[in-house]
Amino acid sequence: MGVATPLARFERRFRGSRERSTVIGSGELGGKAEGLLAGRDILAGLDVARFAPLVVEIPALTVLATSTFDAFLARNRLGELVEGSASERSVAEAFQRAELPAEVVGDLLDLIRHIKTPLAVRSSSLLEDALRHPFAGIYETKMIPNNQPEAESRFRRLTEAVKFVYASTFLPRARAYLRAVGREPQEEKMAVVLQEIVGDRHGPRFYPDVSGVARSWNFYAFGGAEPRDGAVSLALGLGKTIVDGGRSWTYSPGRPQVAPPHGSPSELLDRAQTDFWAVNMGKAPAYDPTAETEYLVKAGLAEAEADGSLAHVASTYVAQDDAIVPGIARGGTRLVDFAPLLKRNAVPLNETVAAVLGACADATGSDVEIEFALSLPSGGDLAPRFALLQVRPMAVSRRPVEIADGEKASPRVLVASDRVMGNGAVEGLQDLVFVTPSSFEPRHTRAIAVELETLNRDLVGEKRPYVLIGFGRWGSSDPWLGIPVDWAQVSGARVIVEACLSGFAVEMSQGAHFFHNLIAEGVPYFSAGPAEGESVRWDRILALPVHREGRFLRHARCPGGFVVKVDGRRGEGVILAPDETS
Amino acid sequence: MNLITTSKPYNSFEVAQAQFDEVASLLDLDEATRTLLRNALREYTFSIPVRMDDGRVKVFRGFRVQHNDARGPCKGGIRFHPQETIDTVRALAMWMTWKCAVVDIPLGGAKGGVVCDPHNLSAREQEQICRGWVRQVARDVGPFTDVPAPDVMTNAQHMLWMLDEFETLQGGRHPGFITGKPVGMGGSQGRAEATGFGVVFTLREALRDLGLEAEATRASVQGFGNVAQHAIRLYQQLGGTVTCVSSWDQAEQMAFAFRRESGVDLDRLLEIADRFGGIDKEEARKQGYDVIPGEAWLEERVHILIPAALENQINAENAGLIDPSVRLIAEGANGPTSPDADRVLKERGIYVIPDFLANAGGVTCSYFEQVQSNMNYFWEKDEVLAKLDVKMTSAFAAVSELAKKRRLPMREAAYVIAVSRVAQACRDRGWV
Repeated sequence: MGVATPLARFERRFRGSRERSTVIGSGELGGKAEGLLAGRDILAGLDVARFAPLVVEIPALTVLATSTFDAFLARNRLGELVEGSASERSVAEAFQRAELPAEVVGDLLDLIRHIKTPLAVRSSSLLEDALRHPFAGIYETKMIPNNQPEAESRFRRLTEAVKFVYASTFLPRARAYLRAVGREPQEEKMAVVLQEIVGDRHGPRFYPDVSGVARSWNFYAFGGAEPRDGAVSLALGLGKTIVDGGRSWTYSPGRPQVAPPHGSPSELLDRAQTDFWAVNMGKAPAYDPTAETEYLVKAGLAEAEADGSLAHVASTYVAQDDAIVPGIARGGTRLVDFAPLLKRNAVPLNETVAAVLGACADATGSDVEIEFALSLPSGGDLAPRFALLQVRPMAVSRRPVEIADGEKASPRVLVASDRVMGNGAVEGLQDLVFVTPSSFEPRHTRAIAVELETLNRDLVGEKRPYVLIGFGRWGSSDPWLGIPVDWAQVSGARVIVEACLSGFAVEMSQGAHFFHNLIAEGVPYFSAGPAEGESVRWDRILALPVHREGRFLRHARCPGGFVVKVDGRRGEGVILAPDETS
Repeated sequence: MNLITTSKPYNSFEVAQAQFDEVASLLDLDEATRTLLRNALREYTFSIPVRMDDGRVKVFRGFRVQHNDARGPCKGGIRFHPQETIDTVRALAMWMTWKCAVVDIPLGGAKGGVVCDPHNLSAREQEQICRGWVRQVARDVGPFTDVPAPDVMTNAQHMLWMLDEFETLQGGRHPGFITGKPVGMGGSQGRAEATGFGVVFTLREALRDLGLEAEATRASVQGFGNVAQHAIRLYQQLGGTVTCVSSWDQAEQMAFAFRRESGVDLDRLLEIADRFGGIDKEEARKQGYDVIPGEAWLEERVHILIPAALENQINAENAGLIDPSVRLIAEGANGPTSPDADRVLKERGIYVIPDFLANAGGVTCSYFEQVQSNMNYFWEKDEVLAKLDVKMTSAFAAVSELAKKRRLPMREAAYVIAVSRVAQACRDRGWV
């Protein structure tokens, strides 16, 4: 990421300058803040007026730099706690009890006195920037409604959210992730970005009409799209839906009108978004400053329709015609496919996304991932807004890999597939963890996730990356469709396979943020369904030497090392057993 | 502006009235307002009979002066001092009015005292004095009338005895009657830090006015009591370097200064200091400090001087010794600069943050305690210190802006703001 224009210092007494981006404290700004500043500079060099009526901008933000984090840890003597084996809950509560440095609290109170709209309190990690690793989903973001009439109440919620983000640096999954990328938690420093949430209020909910994640390179292109066109995932409401791997709408900016590759309209409906996240502006929820979702609320499409936001993003499934009609003028089942924006071009969303994505990739000289939000206020004089929320680099290997025909037929093949994400060769992995077919039932997926988390932590601690094979969609938010892990629970996996089982065949996971982690880490992701060209040789896998056996998982270890090859251009891949085990 | 007469013997009330007269002229106040404000609204003097531990009954003289409550209930400490006089209490009550007004908290000014020396009194005898003081003025003080606080030689224990007596007389619980209570018994978080941190909040803003970065500055501090300790802490947290601190040596009955060019280590100094802030000289030498005469703190080559000990420490005799590098003086103590010295500082262009603005963090936090006690709802330390910072910064900004606009020294600008606010409140109430 290039060096961005420096941030202005947050200044209480001289507000005349109206700076939209400011910093409190000294030290580093962290990866997220640096990305946002780079985005600010990129937008400044882009002719954004051509996207009218869309106003294209970075939402107002203030960064609490890393000096505050350092002082917070040191003065509250939290070092011992975070170095020990304290539970997630006790870390979170200890951070809540601790005091923020006296030199910043006045600035925070002054800031919150002048802002009465919802705020995102976002982690901005130093290592995220230094390592160019994606830490999204590892550290926490907290959304606060910030609509209490008293500034003191808003201040309390703000400080709780800052402490919550600080605590997330030391939660077990963050520690496991850091170790997986070869760093110690003590090396990490956290800045915090306090940023206006872009969206509109609809009664007790506040949310953007559209949230999106776009990537400039896509090894899983479909529908005739090119990898270089990238990919965009869209969701109604807050971006948490995409970050958590929930249901979103993925398309290529080169072919915005092509729907994801699902067979029929009814299948499309089955895979489409049915609920969304919003900031809870209504009745105060149960007090729990240690919960990320304290001020979030999930709502269904009926609420979105009543709010008026669904009309911007949905089509209608007309059952008698088995057809999908853009818009919601007709009665029928609603499908969140963003057709009014992508097909009718109500505002130039795709054009804007493509231009911003391209400008960011050009400016950084690498493939990038951006996050954005779109607000389409109805009525009044408010203009529609496209807000760029994040710019970060993608680590994508483009080195060509050849898979000879003979290799796919080799007796060493454990897994072969024509539907593989990623690109490149992985060698030297000696460990393979898999869900034993005989133990698997969809009702056990949560328990499998727990068992896997422990195993993953052990392997990360031993610095042993591994191949992971399981059934269904890894990272699914629906436990009936796959094993509901988050990235940190599988952070040590260097190759992931989702397989099918008789009576349990599901589509490949499309969880966008999970997807980004795979690509950024160079983790090939195999989908091995019942189709021709896709196979998992369970006879050979079950014959591998067993290192550990759990209730649902078996851990095999082969000192000779597995070989994994993925040809990203053709989407093919194989996993080969070591020579001595063939 | 000559804020003080040089008549003798020194009478602090005359000094306070002279200061007021100067500001009244600047503001062109009418005669009735001048007469009202140069005297207290109410004064109580009374006797407190106490049966001593030896069985004798001794009668102590007590005072409470309520200077002005046009802006809100009176606020002010209670001093136990053998040389206490009604004129001292009158002066201090008036200064409290101005201090509350300059930081714009809705309180008036008061002060109280008892002529006694706690060093020669047992705890039980002190308790009886406290309870007797309350019995004499219980009808004229209270959470919405006049709220006492600790001051010279009184502490949280004295406040709790007084509170208990007041609540016994009134029936019920009235934690807002008094401030300076221990945390957990109705006291406020942040009280210990408030005065020292308040000094540095204003210091930080003054540095911005001067175009200086805290990280690039050095400071010398007189005193090592509560105010100095917390001022040093926050100043260092802002990145500044304290190279010299002075403290009183009880054994030798004189002050010494402790200088280290690389900067003092506050936590290690606290380890070798007694509870009154007296620093062990031998241990300090082992830590690499030069131990020099106490008055040398003033002569340090620094950007900032923070007098945080006693009154009249920068005077006509020593003002000329201040190093040319000094740009700023933040008065943590009450009245540390004599009027003669003030003139010298003005001529040299040294920026002065006047005492009743710089050290108003204490009364501001007392006000916060009063508010919390009246609500019976207590804030976290983050919130207390945030409010304190905002309050002090706003007060500083108002004074600084007026000083620039009317080309006044900061002290005069602060007085102009304070007196005009009180005068306006009196007019708004229809008193004058």
